[in-house]
Amino acid sequence: MVVTYNWLKEFVDFDFSPEELSHRLTMAGLEVDAMEKLGEGLESVVVARLISVEKHPEADRLTVCRVDAGDDERQIVCGATNHKAGDYVALAQVGTVLPGEFKIKKSKIRGEVSEGMLCSEKELGLSEESEGIMILPAGLRVGQPVFDALGLADVRYELGLTPNRSDCLSIVGVAREVAAMAGKPLQIPNPVVVESGAPIGNDTSVEILDAEKGPRYMARLIRGVKIGPSPQWLVKRLESVGVRSINNVVDVTNYVMMELGHPLHAFDFNLLRGGKIVVRCPGEMNFTTLDDQEHRLTDSDLAICDAEGPVALAGIMGGQNSEIQPETTDVLLESAYFDPLTVRRTGKRLGIHTESSHRFERGADINMVPVALDRAAALIAELAAGTVSKGAIDAYPKKVAGRQVAITLAKTNAILGLELSLKKVTDLLGSIGLEVSAGKEADTLSVGIPTFRPDLEREIDLIEEVARLNGYDNIPVTMPGGETVDHPVPKHQAVVRRLRDTMVAEGFSEVINYAFISTAAYDRISLDKNDGRRTNVAIRNPLTEEQSVMRTSLIPSLLDNVARNLSYRCLDLSLFELRPVYRPMPQEELPYEPTFLSGAMCGRREPFGWSQGGEPCDFYDLKGVVESLLESLRIGDIRWVNASGEPYLHPGKSCAIFAGDTRLGVLGEVHPVVLENFDIDGPVFVFDLDVEMMIAAAGGGIAFRPISRFPDVYRDSAFLLDDRVAAAEILATIARAQAKMVESVTLFDVYRGKGVPEGKKSVAIRVQYRSSERTLTDDEINKAHARIVREMEKQLDAQLR
Amino acid sequence: MKQRLEQLLASGREAISVSGDETALQDVRVRLLGKKGDLTAIMKGMGQLTAEERPVIGALANRVKEELEALIADRQVVLKGAAVEKRLSSESVDVTLPGRRSRKGSKHPITLATEEISAIFASLGFGVEEGPEIEKDFYNFEALNIPKDHPARDMQDTFYIDDDIVLRTHTSPVQIRTMLKYEPPVRVIAPGTVYRRDSDLTHSPMFHQVEGFLVDRDVTFGDLKGILTTFVNRYFGEGIGVRFRPSFFPFTEPSAEVDMQCVICGGGGCRVCKQSGWLEILGSGMIDPEVFRSVNYDADKYSGFAFGMGIERIAMLKYGVNDLRLFFENDVRFLDQFA
Repeated sequence: MVVTYNWLKEFVDFDFSPEELSHRLTMAGLEVDAMEKLGEGLESVVVARLISVEKHPEADRLTVCRVDAGDDERQIVCGATNHKAGDYVALAQVGTVLPGEFKIKKSKIRGEVSEGMLCSEKELGLSEESEGIMILPAGLRVGQPVFDALGLADVRYELGLTPNRSDCLSIVGVAREVAAMAGKPLQIPNPVVVESGAPIGNDTSVEILDAEKGPRYMARLIRGVKIGPSPQWLVKRLESVGVRSINNVVDVTNYVMMELGHPLHAFDFNLLRGGKIVVRCPGEMNFTTLDDQEHRLTDSDLAICDAEGPVALAGIMGGQNSEIQPETTDVLLESAYFDPLTVRRTGKRLGIHTESSHRFERGADINMVPVALDRAAALIAELAAGTVSKGAIDAYPKKVAGRQVAITLAKTNAILGLELSLKKVTDLLGSIGLEVSAGKEADTLSVGIPTFRPDLEREIDLIEEVARLNGYDNIPVTMPGGETVDHPVPKHQAVVRRLRDTMVAEGFSEVINYAFISTAAYDRISLDKNDGRRTNVAIRNPLTEEQSVMRTSLIPSLLDNVARNLSYRCLDLSLFELRPVYRPMPQEELPYEPTFLSGAMCGRREPFGWSQGGEPCDFYDLKGVVESLLESLRIGDIRWVNASGEPYLHPGKSCAIFAGDTRLGVLGEVHPVVLENFDIDGPVFVFDLDVEMMIAAAGGGIAFRPISRFPDVYRDSAFLLDDRVAAAEILATIARAQAKMVESVTLFDVYRGKGVPEGKKSVAIRVQYRSSERTLTDDEINKAHARIVREMEKQLDAQLR
Repeated sequence: MKQRLEQLLASGREAISVSGDETALQDVRVRLLGKKGDLTAIMKGMGQLTAEERPVIGALANRVKEELEALIADRQVVLKGAAVEKRLSSESVDVTLPGRRSRKGSKHPITLATEEISAIFASLGFGVEEGPEIEKDFYNFEALNIPKDHPARDMQDTFYIDDDIVLRTHTSPVQIRTMLKYEPPVRVIAPGTVYRRDSDLTHSPMFHQVEGFLVDRDVTFGDLKGILTTFVNRYFGEGIGVRFRPSFFPFTEPSAEVDMQCVICGGGGCRVCKQSGWLEILGSGMIDPEVFRSVNYDADKYSGFAFGMGIERIAMLKYGVNDLRLFFENDVRFLDQFA
């Protein structure tokens, strides 16, 4: 909604400065999104009179003008063609900066001096489009700033209104608020219609067949109008609030809508078949609105019909079949009230949103119907030379009764943290036109709600008005008292935080990707046609195909992140994402949103530097990270099972991770074909863990184990083994030997190559021995270690080297 | 013998003082005081002394021995110090060479901001609740006093899964779920991901919010102002001006938009605050009785307030990030800055 300072002044005599008004409107809940001073900085654009207009000697399309700018005569070169000697024009003097940072300088154009510029309306920001320069009304005082001379100096406020304040979708509505702020009366127009000729009832009739959807319909008939352009004041007024002038009759309806907030419609009376109005739902049919769009109506759409069919979509837009034409002479003027929900549903379904429907769907004022009708009729009579038939039709089958809402002082003060008196509350509510009287009980008020405030229905609505009118600034700042609430951190949150902290400590950067992806993403990670993850939660109205399904895996986005960063030559990457994925649950109310943790790593193991960073990272770097994660949750009984089953992983360099029988996720090198799909060169390692499963497998809290005060001893042994024996088997074999006093076993070297026969490998282990009771003797340790060696030889056919 | 002892002392002194390092000093010590050393050799003549001479010479010998030992010990300290000195003076590192680093990890700025916001509210007694992102219309709209066909639905352009299921447009449904789960008093914040069908330079179709609410006996609008003013001053800095102005949300009444003094220009007016000197950062209000009704709270007994903020906006202001899209491009040159 746009209002202007001068227009508001017509209804309330306030004396706030433009800036103060802006602040007060904002603090009253009518937020000023933008304030624009029309003509600000354009004081040096003045009224000038053209003394002579000659053709430029060197250029056919230019003229050389002598102008009288009040103080002296000047020469201006001008490219327009619509001016002649004697015209009054807008002269931007040297030094003026026009909108768009266009600075006017003294110049020579093809050898002729030009001291300024003659402006068009567009150049002055007065209209979007204009042809030629602006020709001003004759007789203005030469040398006066143009904006002052035309009375255009004004301040525009663009209000960001909240949907509850339908009452402020008009100048008068906003003026009512300003009046309350200023403590001044609101002057509402009281139109006087001069009627003549036959009573309206002789020529037309109005019938309401659906009073639920169309509770009130008023009409006046204006005969003998001359359709033509509106006077300048009306054109400028409408332009100042962003409405384009069409013709005098339509402009009046728009003007009254802006002024009083009540939408009107004007029909060409002679195009109404049967010369009558019927308000009804015409049922399923096609209907063409005046913007030349054809719409399909349904049973529930309300229309204004003539004797044969629809001529307007009630409260939304008129029909092409009855709109005002240049040759229209008789006008049927509609002022009505329509049910907000009906207007909203029809408008929404047909995709039409107009200034009119915007107001009706938020709730117009049913008592404004006659005022707006008379205001517009009087203006049309004045501006289009029409004569208004006697009387008005008012079809209003069921009069809307005023609403009474009670408000108690105690509740008001309790909610707001204030100590207002009953008198103060009475005054505040009265200041915006509510009818406040004493309530039935002590310290209560009964408030009559005018129809222009459909949003005020309950006590709390009135309490808000009290707070607003008293000023939110005047509510003291306090801290809540009350009981202490015990609200423990849910386990899920605690685990997620712990995992995230671990990932960051491991040197990984967290990414956040959109939760919606394209189904093509699953092809790119080679998912099987029957893979369960292809069953998505799909968005019915996605913005793009790329964002059309809720992802069931974090991997595609993560690989996109890798590819993007590689393309910017950031080559050493360690990224993770810790977010939900979404699985349809046909039997449940809502999909399942398990949290997943996925990581990706590529490039050098360490940051490149003078003494490090040469080596590329590999499977075991990322495995170490996963181990840290599992350890951070004290997950035990972990198995790394070769064969992840994941189509996007290298079959030989990947594994599934189990805790007992619970599958936690996968880890491995990305399949080369998948890398190609993402345009990634070189190996990338990823893991994908189901956090919900990890929570299920998580161990308990910290359990202290005593530490030994005696020294340790270790023995290193290297074994020659079959190459296929897995490390886990070696460690399990050592454990099975049940050697005494073993504190730890570390596998510290794996070697294949020179000195080791083909098909074999050399594996070195260090066994650390320690007792909690005494210093161990060589003899004891040798015995224990021999058990291990024997077990290795026996079980794994290992040869001690 | 007396003379020989005194000579030993004198020559010993000389030898100790000229010994150049610890090895040389050790040799001197062996030569003077060792088992086969000079002192032992002299003492072998003790047997030929008279009974009167023996104690005198014995005492002298002890004195010589003690003195030489003391001299050796002193010299030892000097030589050791010199040796350390010498070694240190030959060793050095280039302290300006950069240290060895491991890979740098970082939380996403949205996570950082969420954690910091949550910590402030935790210190004010608020617990943390979460809820589903794919949500029933009832929790996202109906229970929050936004019936179907209400113009307030236009305030949030919604992604639909089907007629009854949406991507939540705000974190407010967690308010409903929490209130259905707990009786008052409750003090909870609910950070989370939300979705609106809007994508341009200043709107992301997925973004993040923190919702918060408090329900108890005798909660006032003043308490709302108190908690949110405290939050803004803790997060953005003490002394930053905060103002509350009337607004509209279907689930609160009275509703308030919360502005803080522009942190970019200090309130003087700049491009970021559209010359107003104020930045809108929070929506808030007293919980609407209709909402209490839908969760079976007694509006005559309890009152409460709720608030919500966009984390991207908060993070942009906090860290000076000038482009919303950066949050979701996941460029490591951006992410690394939050390490």
